[in-house]
Parts: sequence; C-alpha cells; structure tokens
Amino acid sequence: MNAKSTVSSTWAARLRANRRRIALVAVLVVALVLPFIPPFTGEDYRRWLVGAAFIAAQAVAFDFTAGYINIVNFGFAAFVGLGGYTSGLLAVELGIPPVIGMVVGGFASGLVGLLTGALTLRLRGIYAAVMAWFVGLALMGIVRNLPEITRGSLGLAVPSLLDSPENLPYYYVILAMLVVTFGVLAWVVRSRFGLAFRAIGQNLAAARASGINPTRYLVINFALSCAFAGWLGGFYAHYYGILTPDVMLTSHTVEVLAIAYIGGRGSLWGAAVVAFPLSIGVEYVKVQFSTLPGVHLVLYGLLLVVVMIYRPGGVAGLVGGLEDWLLRRRRQDPLETPNPA
Amino acid sequence: MTTAATNLRPPPFLRRYLTFTWLTLAVAAAIMVFEAFAHPSIVVNTLVTGGMWALMAAGLAMVFGVMNIPNFAHGELFLLGSFTAFTVFSPIQDALFDDPSLTWLKVVGPIPGMVVALAVGAVTGVLLEVALFRPLRRRSRDQWVMNTFLLTAGVSVVAINSYRLVVGNDFHGVPGYWIFPPINVAGVPISVDRLMVLLISVVTIGLFALFLRRTRLGRAIRAVSQDETGAQMAGIDLNGIFVLTMAISCALAALAGASLLFLFPAYPDVGLQPLYTAWFVVILAGLGNIPGAVVGAFLVALLQNLTIFYVGVGWVDVLPTLFIMLILLFKPSGLFGSAVKGVWEQ
Repeated sequence: MNAKSTVSSTWAARLRANRRRIALVAVLVVALVLPFIPPFTGEDYRRWLVGAAFIAAQAVAFDFTAGYINIVNFGFAAFVGLGGYTSGLLAVELGIPPVIGMVVGGFASGLVGLLTGALTLRLRGIYAAVMAWFVGLALMGIVRNLPEITRGSLGLAVPSLLDSPENLPYYYVILAMLVVTFGVLAWVVRSRFGLAFRAIGQNLAAARASGINPTRYLVINFALSCAFAGWLGGFYAHYYGILTPDVMLTSHTVEVLAIAYIGGRGSLWGAAVVAFPLSIGVEYVKVQFSTLPGVHLVLYGLLLVVVMIYRPGGVAGLVGGLEDWLLRRRRQDPLETPNPA
Repeated sequence: MTTAATNLRPPPFLRRYLTFTWLTLAVAAAIMVFEAFAHPSIVVNTLVTGGMWALMAAGLAMVFGVMNIPNFAHGELFLLGSFTAFTVFSPIQDALFDDPSLTWLKVVGPIPGMVVALAVGAVTGVLLEVALFRPLRRRSRDQWVMNTFLLTAGVSVVAINSYRLVVGNDFHGVPGYWIFPPINVAGVPISVDRLMVLLISVVTIGLFALFLRRTRLGRAIRAVSQDETGAQMAGIDLNGIFVLTMAISCALAALAGASLLFLFPAYPDVGLQPLYTAWFVVILAGLGNIPGAVVGAFLVALLQNLTIFYVGVGWVDVLPTLFIMLILLFKPSGLFGSAVKGVWEQ
C-alpha cells in the first residue's frame, strides 16, 4: 500500500475494486423493493415482474453456455420444458411436493443435457447448436405425442408451488432462484473450471494444446446449464399451473437468447440486469399493441440483429467500455497521479 | 509385407469413409425398391418432397460452404416464395375459374408465380447480404459462424412476425396448380402437380449442378468455398461471389416454397418444417457439401415418409432426429463429410 495514500483515496480504491459487487447488490436491492414502487404494486405488473425474473434466470443459465464455451444451446426451451414436465408429472402422478419435484426436474434436464452434450459436443460448435435444437424438437414431439401421459396439447394441470394466489411471494421465490442460479454459475465461472471454459470458448485448439480435455469441460458446462434450465422450468410449471408442449417452442429459446446476447455474452450479469427493463418493456408493448400480435417479437428480433452487427458485446460490453473510459480519465487526473511532474 | 488379397481392398482411408455411407445408401435403396411394390405412395411422396428439400438443403449447404453462414432464416425464404406464388397465381386461378376452357392457361398458369418467386427470393438474398452480412463482415470476423447464426435467428423472428403483422395468421393456399386428372405411372395414379414438382426440382438441380461445375462463375463459387484467400489472390471478387451465392440460395428456397404451395399453404410458421428438414439434411450430409445435401434430402424425405406411414405424422420430428444422432455417432462429420477441415472449423 502506498504510504502517501490518504484515507479517502483508500476508500475510493476499495470502492473501485469492488464496484461490480456493489453495483450488483444495488441492483438486487432495487429488484427487492421494485414490487412496492408504483406501478408495480398492481397484480398485473407484478406478474410481469415474475416473468422478467424468470427470463432473467433463464438468460443467465443460457449465457453460461453461450458466453463461455461459445455453444448456443438452441434447444434451451425444451430443457426448460422437460424440467417442468418432470416436476409437474411427479406432482400429479405421485403427489411429490413441487419443491422436490423441481430439483428432480433439474436433474432430469441435466441428465438429458449430459447425454446430448456427450453425443454432440465432440463435434464443432455449430453441429452442437443444431443438434441441441433437434433434440429440443424431438422432446417437444415426444411430449405432444404421448397425450396419455402428458395430456399433449390439451395441457397438463399442475398444482401450484405456493398456496397464495398473489404474485408477490412467487416473485420473491423466482428472485431467490435467480440469485442462486447467478451465484452458483458465477462461482463456477471464477473457479478453475471457468478458466478452462473460457480457454475452450476462445480457442479450442490452444486449450487442447495446453492440456485441457475440451469435451469433458464442454459436457460439464452444457449439463449444468441444462440442469438449471430444468429447475427453472419447474418453477414455470408450478407458477402458471398449466403445461403445454408450446413451452418448448424454439421461439422461447430465441427470446432467452436475445436477452442473453443483448445483455452481453460472457458476463452473466448483463443478461440478468437487461432482462428486467427489456421483458417489462416488451410486455408493455404487447399490451399497448394487442391488436398487432407478434410486434414484441419483431422488437426482440430487431434488437438482436442490431446488437449482433454493431455492439457484439451487448450492454455488458457498453458498461465495460464506459468503465474503462472513466478509469482512464481518473488516471489522467493530476491529483491522482502518484508523482506529478 | 501385405498380401495380394489385402492389396485388392480399397485403401484404408477409403474404407473408413465409404463403407458406412454405402451401407446406409444401400439400405435406403432397398427400402425404396420394397416400398415401390408395397406402398408406391411412399416412393412418390419421397421423390416429390425430397426434390424440394434438395433445393432447400443445397442452398443452405452452399451458403454455409461459401460464406460460412448457418442460415437460420432459410425457412422464411420458403415462406416468401409460397406467399409470392400465391399472390401471383390467385388472379390466374380466378381467371381459370371464370373460364375453364382456357387450356393453355391451365398449362402455363402456375409458371409465372414460380418465376416471380424465384426473382423475389434472389433480390431478398442480395438485400440480406448487402444490408446484414456485409456490415458484420466488415466489423469483425471473430466467431463468425456463431454470430451469423444468431443474426439469422433474429432475422427469422423479425420476418415471421412482420409477416404475421402485415398479412395475418390466415392460410393462403391453392387446392392445386395443374388441375388435370392424375396420370398413371406403372399402374399408380399420380397427380400432375406432384409430377411437375418432381420435374421442376430435377431440372433446377441439374441446372444448378451444371452452373457450379461448368461455368466460370460456378468455378469461382467453388473456389471461394475451398479457400477464400486463395480465390481472392486469383482475382475473384469476393463480395460479388457472396452476393451471388446468397441470391442463388435464397432463390432456390423461394422456388421450393412456390412449388410446394399446394402442399404447404403460406402462413407465418410454414418455413419451420422446411427449415429444420433442410438442417437435418445438411447435418446428415456434412456441412457445406452440396452434392451430399441433394442425396441426403431424398434420404431424409424417405425417413420422414416412412415415419408418417408406419408410426404417425406426429413422430416425424422424433424418429429422424434419433436416426441422425445415431449416424453422427459413427460419422461425426456427416454421411458424406470428409476428414478435411473447412476454414470455419479451424
């Protein structure tokens, strides 16, 4: 530590060093009090909040694969749906409480993800993306075609997670799930595994040359992401109370994908933060233009296209750029320079 | 020392890459011959849909081979083609309804719709390349395959939902193009539409193959798909080739949509099944392999029609997927994939 540094500058340094953490806690606090700030006090708006937190958690799990090992899980929605159906069927057929069912659903999705990954991840990235999509289509086909078990397109009625008919408790449940998803995945990303993931995502050949067994890490990453998808799917099932094969539609994957990439690939937090304004804004547009079905998806698509072409780093990239710019300015500040000329 | 007997066998690299492929093709051929006697309709449907999947898949494979773009918006070109053909053919259909004696119009009536669809598809392809892929290419080619995959996914969502906003959710179809009594082929009645579609696909694929193999432009396209830098050094205008490739690929998809209008009426999501079928084919054949895509298209069509006939129409997504995963277990680079890595893989 520099002996010349004053108390205030140590403070500033500490703030600067922990700025990410502080920002995240601030965002979390905002998310916690949000349902008490008008207009979010209304049930309709709180339902949007639940939806936003749900898609945020999915986008985090999605980004864990897309942003780090650079594999787009194009069948993501199917893994969400698989978890939901597993949990829902366990509750309906065996009366297993939803909390346990959701975890089992997560394991089921993780297992199928493990198998899919083990089969496809030794192939190049685009093969894996497309094969995951096919697996998703196949899962949807299976759910559709076994109406005696899943009730097919009629929809499976599922007991709800909580007794309360209100949205507020559900919001805190899904917020907690979002925090857990983010926490666990961020922890993995910062561990040795995360280093390997990043190495593989950036340069497969170099990673292999430095002694990493890519397939193993890829499969672990993929399965973990799928497991979280399944767990979150369980929440979906027990929140909405009805499951149809449409949960698994590719358009849901695209929605999650759009948010993950607009938020910024490889950041985890970008997706989580962006999901709230974006998803709520889109719901607003959907209600305002209810005579124009699909207008919200056009917006998602356009945003995705623009981000992909002009700002591939997404919002996280923008924030990172801003941060660099601010820090650089600070360094040029004469009061801060250790040895002024 | 090797014995004379082993010398007669094909060299190891051929054995490794051909056996499984030939086995699969032989099984497919045997099934076709069997079904030709047992259920001729399966063979007819396989040839008709297979021809159109071949158009879709060949375009997809070419764009991937030349530009390294995994086009997820390929199905929307199918939609564009079918809606264009519907728009052009509807007045002609009405005219025929008013005056059924116009035999010449009955024969040539469906052609303008297909030609216009082909042109509209080509123009859309040019626009896609100039407005989207070129700016992205100029900015960065890092992780190009994944970026363009996501870009085209965005385009697909925008296209489907814009169509929904502008045209609506209704089905726009025609009962048939060529309203003639079915023709008997070896005792099996086949509708004229199906025969014509088969003819269109065979002629188009033939012309396409001739273009790729026999013309300077075709050679240039193949050169770029093999080695972009080398092609550029040989004086090939890369941007021109990219525009041309995209235009041809999109035109083929639009033609497929237009030709199959009597089976697939135009509606927002109509492109989804052709899209993933084309992807099935391309994955099965090996990415970027155009001749493989043509053969693979008929294989997948056979697989789908067998599934529909023997198991049920709902399983048409499930069983072919399992089959493809099985094949990829044995041949990770596809049925006709080579061990040579493309530029995009390195």
